[in-house]
Amino acid sequence: MKHTTYKYLFALILAGGLSSCRKNLLDSLPNDRVSANIFWKTENDALLADNALYTDLDGVSIFTWDALSDIAHTNQNFDTQAFIELGTYDIANAKIYNEWSAAYTGIQATNYFLENIDKVSSTNTTLINRFKGEAKVLRAYQYIKLAGFFGDVPLITKTLTIAEGQQVTRTPVSQVWDFVDKELSDAAALLPATYGAADKGRVTSGAAWALKARADLWARRYQLVVDAANQVKGYTLYSSYQNLFKYAAENNSEVILDKQFLKDTYSNGVFALLAPYSQKNAQSYYVPTKSLVDAYETADGKNINDAGSGFDPYHPYDNRDPRLRFSVFVDGDALPSGIAFKPAPNSGTADAIGSTYIASTTGYNIKKYINTEDYANPSNSGINIILLRYAEVLLTLAEAKIELNQIDQSVYDAINTVRNGRSDVKLPNIATGLTQEQLRQIVRHERTVELAFEGLHLFDIRRWKTAETVMTGPVYGITYSDATNKLVTVQVVSFNRVFDKSRHYLWPIPQKETNLNPNLKQNPNW
Amino acid sequence: MNINFLNKLLINKLARVTLLSIVMITFTSLLFAETISGQTITDTRVSIKLENASLKTALLQVEQKSGFIFVYNERLLNPYGNFTLNKEKITVADLLNLLLKKTDLTYQVHDNKVLIIQKEKPKPVVQKPVVAIPVSGKVTDDKGLALPGVTVKVKGGSAAVVTDADGNYKLTVNEADATLVFSFVGFKTQEVSLAGKQELNVQLAVSSGQLDAVVVVGYGTQKKTSLTSAVSQVSGNTLVQRPVSNVQQSLQGLAPGVTVLDRGGSPGRSSATIRVRGITTFNINNSSTGGYDLSKNDALVIVDGIEQKLTDINPDDIDNVSILKDAASTAIYGSRATNGVILITTKRAKENKLSINYNYYYASQNAINKPQMMGLKAYMRLEQVAYTNAGAALPARFTDESINTWVNATDREKYPLPNTWFQTMLHSAPQQNHSLSIAGGDDKIKARLSARYLDQDGIVVNFKDQIKEVKLNTDYTAAKILKFSGDLNYRTNYSTVPTVDPFNNFYHGSLWAVPKYPDGTYGLSTQGNNPLMFAEKGGLSSQYDDNLIANLKAELEILPGLKLSTQYGARVEYIQQKNFTNSYSNTDKNTNITKTVANNSLTEVRNNLREYTWNNLLTYDKTIGKSAFRGLVGYSEIYDTQSYLTAYRERFYNNDVESIGQGANDGTKSNSGYDANFGLRSYFGRVNYAYDNKYLFEANGRYDGSSKFTGDKRYGFFPSFSGGWRVSQEEFWDGLKNTVNDLKLRGSWGKTGNQSVDLYSYYSALALTTYTFGGTSAAGYRQSTLANTNLGWESTTQLDLGFDATFLNNRLSVTADYYRKVTNDILLNLGIPATVGLNAPPQNAGSVENKGFEFSVGYHGGESGFRYNINANLTINQNKVLDLKGTGPYITGSDIDPRYIVKVGLPVNTLWGYKTDGLFQTQAEVNSYPTYAANSKPGDVKYVDLNGDKKIDANDMTAIGNPFPKYTFGLSSDFAYKNFDLNFLFQGAAKVDTRLSGALAEMGNQEGFTSSVYTNNYWTPDNTGARFPRPIKFDLRNVATSDRLIINGSYVRLKNIQLGYSLPKETVSKLHLSRIRFYISATNLLTFSKLNEWKLDPEVESGRATYYPQTSLYTAGINVQF
Repeated sequence: MKHTTYKYLFALILAGGLSSCRKNLLDSLPNDRVSANIFWKTENDALLADNALYTDLDGVSIFTWDALSDIAHTNQNFDTQAFIELGTYDIANAKIYNEWSAAYTGIQATNYFLENIDKVSSTNTTLINRFKGEAKVLRAYQYIKLAGFFGDVPLITKTLTIAEGQQVTRTPVSQVWDFVDKELSDAAALLPATYGAADKGRVTSGAAWALKARADLWARRYQLVVDAANQVKGYTLYSSYQNLFKYAAENNSEVILDKQFLKDTYSNGVFALLAPYSQKNAQSYYVPTKSLVDAYETADGKNINDAGSGFDPYHPYDNRDPRLRFSVFVDGDALPSGIAFKPAPNSGTADAIGSTYIASTTGYNIKKYINTEDYANPSNSGINIILLRYAEVLLTLAEAKIELNQIDQSVYDAINTVRNGRSDVKLPNIATGLTQEQLRQIVRHERTVELAFEGLHLFDIRRWKTAETVMTGPVYGITYSDATNKLVTVQVVSFNRVFDKSRHYLWPIPQKETNLNPNLKQNPNW
Repeated sequence: MNINFLNKLLINKLARVTLLSIVMITFTSLLFAETISGQTITDTRVSIKLENASLKTALLQVEQKSGFIFVYNERLLNPYGNFTLNKEKITVADLLNLLLKKTDLTYQVHDNKVLIIQKEKPKPVVQKPVVAIPVSGKVTDDKGLALPGVTVKVKGGSAAVVTDADGNYKLTVNEADATLVFSFVGFKTQEVSLAGKQELNVQLAVSSGQLDAVVVVGYGTQKKTSLTSAVSQVSGNTLVQRPVSNVQQSLQGLAPGVTVLDRGGSPGRSSATIRVRGITTFNINNSSTGGYDLSKNDALVIVDGIEQKLTDINPDDIDNVSILKDAASTAIYGSRATNGVILITTKRAKENKLSINYNYYYASQNAINKPQMMGLKAYMRLEQVAYTNAGAALPARFTDESINTWVNATDREKYPLPNTWFQTMLHSAPQQNHSLSIAGGDDKIKARLSARYLDQDGIVVNFKDQIKEVKLNTDYTAAKILKFSGDLNYRTNYSTVPTVDPFNNFYHGSLWAVPKYPDGTYGLSTQGNNPLMFAEKGGLSSQYDDNLIANLKAELEILPGLKLSTQYGARVEYIQQKNFTNSYSNTDKNTNITKTVANNSLTEVRNNLREYTWNNLLTYDKTIGKSAFRGLVGYSEIYDTQSYLTAYRERFYNNDVESIGQGANDGTKSNSGYDANFGLRSYFGRVNYAYDNKYLFEANGRYDGSSKFTGDKRYGFFPSFSGGWRVSQEEFWDGLKNTVNDLKLRGSWGKTGNQSVDLYSYYSALALTTYTFGGTSAAGYRQSTLANTNLGWESTTQLDLGFDATFLNNRLSVTADYYRKVTNDILLNLGIPATVGLNAPPQNAGSVENKGFEFSVGYHGGESGFRYNINANLTINQNKVLDLKGTGPYITGSDIDPRYIVKVGLPVNTLWGYKTDGLFQTQAEVNSYPTYAANSKPGDVKYVDLNGDKKIDANDMTAIGNPFPKYTFGLSSDFAYKNFDLNFLFQGAAKVDTRLSGALAEMGNQEGFTSSVYTNNYWTPDNTGARFPRPIKFDLRNVATSDRLIINGSYVRLKNIQLGYSLPKETVSKLHLSRIRFYISATNLLTFSKLNEWKLDPEVESGRATYYPQTSLYTAGINVQF
């Protein structure tokens, strides 16, 4: 009797436990993410997915590329990309893997988008087509980079399973260029020439044509370059080169494609990355070299080494192409904090060469995108990073025509517009009646200085096959007067570049990737 | 919600539980329903455990367990009590003899009834007039308490007496030098020669439990003798011998198969890891410099039936720790058991008597090691050489003239030493702990209440930890058949660390800075660093970690031997973090270098975890003749929910106004968070069968369903089988029994699982992203991780063969195990081709094998005055990756940091890099061999061109070291002499490697700490026999990951030594106390290791050693018992 009571009591306890038991214990679903199954229904879904594609555009990473060319230098020698500059890199290099994988992340996103966009129920075909056009351009953007870095790469136009990913093979680079060329033409037809204020930064038809011109230039398909460049309409050079990289000039008439940023919500750290060390311990991650600084002409359009150029080694920055001081911090320049930039080793300032491994080892710092507004919060910059601007289109057109030997006035016009088409860059016109070879050198020079630190020079020295010449030997920096007023040129400590032309024109396919997919054959001599 | 619905719900649930009960009962009935009639009291065996029981209670227990009915007059039994005994499988007859031995009672058996009656008065015996020497004495236990009931025998004779209630005995012997044999259950038998004495007092040592010990196993206990699986036990007493603040550390060296890696860690946030029988899994995607993420190898920790974390558990509350190692013991935990299970049982009130315990200790903590910078002159000369080798001009500081000035200077504010951080910032710090427990109760209600307060300062400023804790364990006996227990534990851990971690700057980027000027301002290195300033002025990160654990349990004995229990446990953890970064500005007054943190900022974190566990067990125990059955079926549910919230604001009015609402209310403020939940539903069971206590068999099974998987992968089944043969119980062993007292062979096989995979890995989801157009923020959604709906359990199959043996009168015990553990379908975030374009989902891929041996040897010896115990253990573990599904190898790291590889045929996370062949000595040698960098010179490292392709590159790398020790061992010992006790523990590891990197490896080539190891030991044309290569400023050619930077991490250390003194009994009783003991101890007193040369702890993880250092403790403490 009593025992029965206890048993009832116990049953009650069990029942109490049961009442807290969960029938759907094992069916917990997350409420902190959106299921792929409920997506792709409305136009707004398409818009949201389209917005996300833009995050794969490059931002401050473009600065890393020029730092692998002769015009800039990776300041910290233990950075993995310094090993590329040194020529000691191998198939395990992290920088190479990161570029490869970032590009394919962008490609996957656009492939996924293009596979699903038609599930959206919408009668607004113009809008849907625009979305498709944006995606196609953004995908082509990634392939242009990949082809430039690696040559043959797997051409992937649909989402892959892991098994498929382990099977893909490299597509000959010419087919990659074919694909890029066609995609960009197709996309141009789907895209508007301009957007309203709220959509500034989206891909336009002009961006499609301009990228096509870039791609065809890299592919050496010069006639296609000319055709595409001529389709880029409605853009003009911005009146001021000095202000081109400032907040006030965002979305100006010269910008064709950019990565848009917004302080606080979608910011980049360009100031902290590039500014001199004295600027709140900014990092000087990539710094200009003597080779670039010396390339700027004198104000009257002469090479500094030319007889009668008027170049004064004791005042090396006076009377120069103004773009030098718009692009590079040189001795004596005012810094955002208000102090003067004093990089000489004997200057005793935080920016003095050798004061710390963080300070610029060449004595130069990149000035483009370094805005006083960002000094207050160096890692929270909202400045848009320009990926393609009209000056490049002009120089691309000129270069293609020179290579085609279709040298006409339009070639001179394009180059001269860049040299003196702005209020603050007024270099004399180039001489007329030049040979193809002379013009080739001129347009290359012009690209180098006009587009310095904009992520193109690494690809240019590969196309021009000049890397084997310019990428060897020590890296040099400023020339300063020592205590005895003797001129001393700074050489970066322990930094000797080596370029093996038998293999360094293309990066190796990353080891991680070939380990996972033996079908990926390696580039020559790697 | 309407009431009808609620009713329905309840009825539904009740129906379900009833069904469950029926299933359970039917199952057990099927197994144990048979009963054999016609048993006699000589062939029925029972197990009985009595603590201060009355004779009546004892008989009631025997009645319940044996099925015999006892008939007696209660008044007859009343005078007898105080029975404390613990007998397993004793025949009822023997047991009755034992119980009635000292009484005037005896028994008669009629059928299945046992009649307890009064003995007939013994008839007076006429003494024979032979030589009879009277001998008397007292028998006590190791604490000096009288032992009644001890059998005292004359060796070789038949006379035997039993000690009385005060432990006194009297007997007569025939020879003056006869030997007396003292034996008592639960104590070690002692033989003492009289040697002419007529009074002989004997102290019996507790048998440290070889034969009678009970081992805690999954969902129950088992006698050690009948155990067929590999389980290590550590008693709570052993744990508290080392006054460390967390239990992980205190387990180090105590049990075979358990590898504890103590890698420093600040107070309250220590980072010791426990690995049971090696590493079974790894997480590929993590590309930290520490190699692949191994956190999913943590053992499952169950405290009183509820999963908990091991950190912060009060060591004084721990009664016992069981470490389940093989599959036979762990399979009952199924999907969470692959990495072993650590079962902790906390102390409960045992006796009716009230007992109060108070423990206090005060300890002084010190860094064990203080890395030493090269001497000033030697360092500056090294820099000269380094710059010269780099072909660079000497900076002003390193000219001969400057070196001279610097070395001869006395003003170290103007001419500071390059690096003094280890000497100036590491100071000794106090740690103290109060721990109080009160236990007692009566037959109906017992309770133990404990409280603790731990206060630990850091050895670096602003590191601190405080733990406050209360724990209440209660037991209620509602009736003989119904018992309850209710436990409550609240613990709060408050810890602080500087927001800006200073340790990296101990080594890196902080040379030539004056730590602090007398006026309170700081010196700065050229990089603007000063770790002291960061620690003092950078801001404070404080964390409250509140834990509340409630645990209710009810147990009903449905029929004799058949018990049903249910346990409901809730664990709530609430973490509140405030990370405040101060704004400040500091200018080095000598150099004018300024460091400014313009904005102060606050990140607040709230992390909430709730986990509910519901365990139901039905157990059955039955002995029939020589067969003993035990069975268990169970059902369990775990539901876990977690929410995480973080908020950020900056620019507060000043550094003291640190409330989230007071920061700038603009675009810089932000918040973020996530929610997560998971569930686990399990059905499990166990069957034990023993025949004649000789042949043992056990089977376990668990069927687990987890919300982490979907579809037909949701449930997994994990079985295990084990068997044992007590060879020493066989008749043929009788001749050997005196040599090998006990020998058991055992073997087991089973499968366990691992479900440590990120939640919702099977769920294809889109994540929110942000972009911006035209200056306006724009939301976006995208895939980021590939979903894997095919994800299933990781399973480990483990074979274990072992034996337990005792020798020398059970004084020497030996246990040995061989195991082979193969983990298949490892849940890997296996690298996937980047061309897939998404983050890798976890996949079931790959196999890892761990195999090895474990040995432990224990000896307890000594006589009444001097007693000692020695325990030694050794673990040999060999880890190997068997299969990666044809993918891989996977390599992490870079040239300047350790590289790790996961590759078939090698241990997980093998150190990977170049082989070296000394240094190039001549230019001719350089010219004739491939070099790593162009322009190599004599004095550079000669990396081996392993594949012979005339290039030194990634293809030449090979395995160069093993970061997880192959051998770990411990040797502990206790000694007691009179009122003194001494214990120590040596512990160590062998076949383990460490790869130094960062400043430690770069020998002054960058701007970091430069170890004194390099002094006069780098290559120069005059010192070609040097151990280290030529220094080259800002050049990394000689520090690429290679075997040259691998240091043998083997070590032996005196982990702990403690000396205690207990006040004599008389003094203590005068104070109305029952015990007072004082002790002093030291941890990490002595270390033998190759890393001593570097002034680094041998347990340093490969890498830069930039962590809160390991400490040694000097402690003084007191235990008081009321």
